[in-house]
Amino acid sequence: MPVIGYLCAESPELFASRLKAFHEGLREAGFVEGRNVAIDYQWAEGQYTRLPALAANLVARNVDIVVAPGGAQVALAVKAAVSNNAIVFEMGGDPVQLGVVDSLSRPGGNITGVSSLSVDVSPKRLELMHEMLPVAAKLTVVANPTSPTANSQLQKLRSAAETLGILLQVVNASTEKEFEPIFSGAAEEAGGLVFTSDPYFAFRSRQLAELAMKYRVPAITQSRDFPMAGGLMSYGGDFAQSHRRAGMYAGRILKGEKPSDLPVQLVTKVEFIINMKAAKLLGREFSPSFVSAADEVIE
Amino acid sequence: MIVRERFRGLFQKYLLVLFMAVAIPLAVNGVVEAWFGYRDQRERLDQLLGVQATSAAAEIHDFIFDITNQLGWFVQVPWSDEPDERRRTEALRLLRQAPAIVGLALIDHKGLERLYVSRIGLNRIESRADRSADPAVVGARSAQVWFSDVSYHRGSEPHLTVAVVGSRPSVGAVVAEVNLKLIWDVISAIKVGKSGFAFVLDQPGRLIAHPDISLVLRGAEEATSKPFRNIRDAIGPAGAGFATSRDAEGREIAAVAAPVAGPDWTVIVEQPLSEAYAPIYAALWRTATLLAAGTIFAALLAYALAHRMTEPIRVLEEGTEKIGAGSFDHRISIETGDEFQRLANSFNKMAAELELAQQHQERIAKLKRFLAPQVADLVDRAGDDSVLDGRHAEVVVIFCDLRGFTAFSAALAPEQVMSVLSEYYACLGRAITQFAATLISFSGDGLMVLVNAPVPVEEPALRAVDLAVEMQKGVQGLIAGWRSRGYQVGFGIGLASGAATVGRIGYADRFDYTAIGSVVNLAARLCASAADREILIDAEVAERVRGKRPLERLGDHQIKGFDEAIPVFGISFDTVADIKPQGSGVIR
Repeated sequence: MPVIGYLCAESPELFASRLKAFHEGLREAGFVEGRNVAIDYQWAEGQYTRLPALAANLVARNVDIVVAPGGAQVALAVKAAVSNNAIVFEMGGDPVQLGVVDSLSRPGGNITGVSSLSVDVSPKRLELMHEMLPVAAKLTVVANPTSPTANSQLQKLRSAAETLGILLQVVNASTEKEFEPIFSGAAEEAGGLVFTSDPYFAFRSRQLAELAMKYRVPAITQSRDFPMAGGLMSYGGDFAQSHRRAGMYAGRILKGEKPSDLPVQLVTKVEFIINMKAAKLLGREFSPSFVSAADEVIE
Repeated sequence: MIVRERFRGLFQKYLLVLFMAVAIPLAVNGVVEAWFGYRDQRERLDQLLGVQATSAAAEIHDFIFDITNQLGWFVQVPWSDEPDERRRTEALRLLRQAPAIVGLALIDHKGLERLYVSRIGLNRIESRADRSADPAVVGARSAQVWFSDVSYHRGSEPHLTVAVVGSRPSVGAVVAEVNLKLIWDVISAIKVGKSGFAFVLDQPGRLIAHPDISLVLRGAEEATSKPFRNIRDAIGPAGAGFATSRDAEGREIAAVAAPVAGPDWTVIVEQPLSEAYAPIYAALWRTATLLAAGTIFAALLAYALAHRMTEPIRVLEEGTEKIGAGSFDHRISIETGDEFQRLANSFNKMAAELELAQQHQERIAKLKRFLAPQVADLVDRAGDDSVLDGRHAEVVVIFCDLRGFTAFSAALAPEQVMSVLSEYYACLGRAITQFAATLISFSGDGLMVLVNAPVPVEEPALRAVDLAVEMQKGVQGLIAGWRSRGYQVGFGIGLASGAATVGRIGYADRFDYTAIGSVVNLAARLCASAADREILIDAEVAERVRGKRPLERLGDHQIKGFDEAIPVFGISFDTVADIKPQGSGVIR
């Protein structure tokens, strides 16, 4: 039975919905865990620094293919550790810009995967927050300095802010305890928070939503989990789609296709989700253009 | 032996002919059916793939025109100089509803961009950039709906720019960028047979849509598009049925193309040839199986029929052989109810008749022992021997024997006795046959002959006398020889005529014909009293031949067993010159 090495930066609980989508994709390609494929999981439990060691673990276990879902950091750690195995990544960033692949159509080497558009659409989140708070001359962007995509995102955000004619304040957060001060600070300034695309933020949507409600701060993140947990809104790639496609690619490689023949797929679906209840709680209202643009409206 | 014989000759011919009679029409029918089946199936395949291609093209067309239709809503109302909030809301809604649209630009009647919304990039509201020279705007103004060439976003995803203008210049234009990767939803849903599918090529022959999205995402790569372009080239411009070609993996396929109006694309549906022809192969296989079964059936039928036809012939052959070998009681048993049975019946009848004839022949042979051949023939011809039944008849009885034969025979070796007797009887037999008389019995050197029984003759007395003369002449010839050897032998004959009881006597297979009556005694006595060279006849015989043959009255003789002396006559055989029997022995 072939073995998939599955390296994940988070815990199984946080990753359950993504894993489900991955299994769906595998099944579409004809593989079911336990029946005709085994999966060797490595969980970093949110400690991103452990990723290179865990990737090395998988290499040592001689798995047939390594799947690196949930962000550029995982993909880069795996790519650095693995030399012979095929790799399928799932990330929000631009794999070409990150140096993970040579090009989208011909990834080269033994690596391919799926990229959601979450990193690319960071400026859209700034735009949406600006539309939400048209009078605010200054918006706060939260970035994770440990993220490989942080710089490129900030660069795009700055240029977007210039276009939109607003000031940008950048704050950093790479641990959970840094979150609260950011929200309390934003509450004092009566501004909005725009979170950059980052798995660390995405997997902590619940905490972010709770803090946003606690401090009554309008905020936007990449993950739908945020408005679902009570946050105001989210704009980002559909992770269910990206993880499912990663599963399909893993299946096709198990069937004998070469990763270099499989172009990097960009997720087509970018979803915009708004939470009306949260808006009401914040004493605000979504304009009709928001509602008509929203893929999902939480009443 | 019989089985071996059956396999040559008729059986083989019948087998062959009957087998051919069934197998050839069957084979011809099978081949013709297979040929027409093949043609029909090809035609059906043509239609099927044609319909599939057309419907696939219609679906791709719908995909594109669904987008242009939705874009059409933005060019209904004339532009004013004020920002148009309603159009913005609609544009955002369209982005949500049409996932293939990546971005959307609304241009007013002056060619200025009034709104741009995008999924990825920032929206632009009232930028008023002059886009009147944009090829999309220029193109749409001349053709109402305009499609760009396909471009590849970041060298991977195929994108298409669509521009639509309204019916009036004042409503402006709308330009949308469409991500063609989303045709995948449509193209992957198109199934041709079990493993056939459809794909889309643009005008230069680049792959736009394919169920395997990874092929599409390779962008304008020549190596990827080439096999698909080859299929399009194989199909050619005119839709004259399906074309066969090879796919990227080198498998043989059947393919049909249909054009997509508007963007000038081609939809091609392909199906592996093995699958497309599967019904043909199945039909051919079915025909072959039926043909084989039919041939076996024909062989069995031919064998059975040939057996049925030749078996009676074999039975007949065997039967006739047996009958021919003399088993006349053998009967040929054929119950086919046809000509063979009739033939067997007539053979049986023939055998029965042969049996009867043989029995008859045997009886005749027996009769011939004591009947003259002519008499025997008569009995034979009459078909029954009632002529031999007992009755009263006027007969002439002749007795004759040798004198001094006992002494003669005692002196000779038995072989010599038998030889002498053979000569003697041969001589007498010739005479008896010549005069159609009936030999009754012979014992030792004596002989009894009957004339006028069982078959009446003309002038029996005369005939009897002539017979006696002939006998005497013949025997005397022999006697002369014997005398020369020193043996004293004589020969005497007695004849009498009168009524007697004649008929067959005996038991089982031993029968004799005889006469009983005093005339027999008389003849015997006359013979006994006749000396050598003498022929003694009674008065009745003498009366009958008087004047016809020279008679000599010898006076009355006292004959033993008769009370009175009886007149006896003699006929000198020397005086009777070669007498021929009268009527040449014809018997009535």
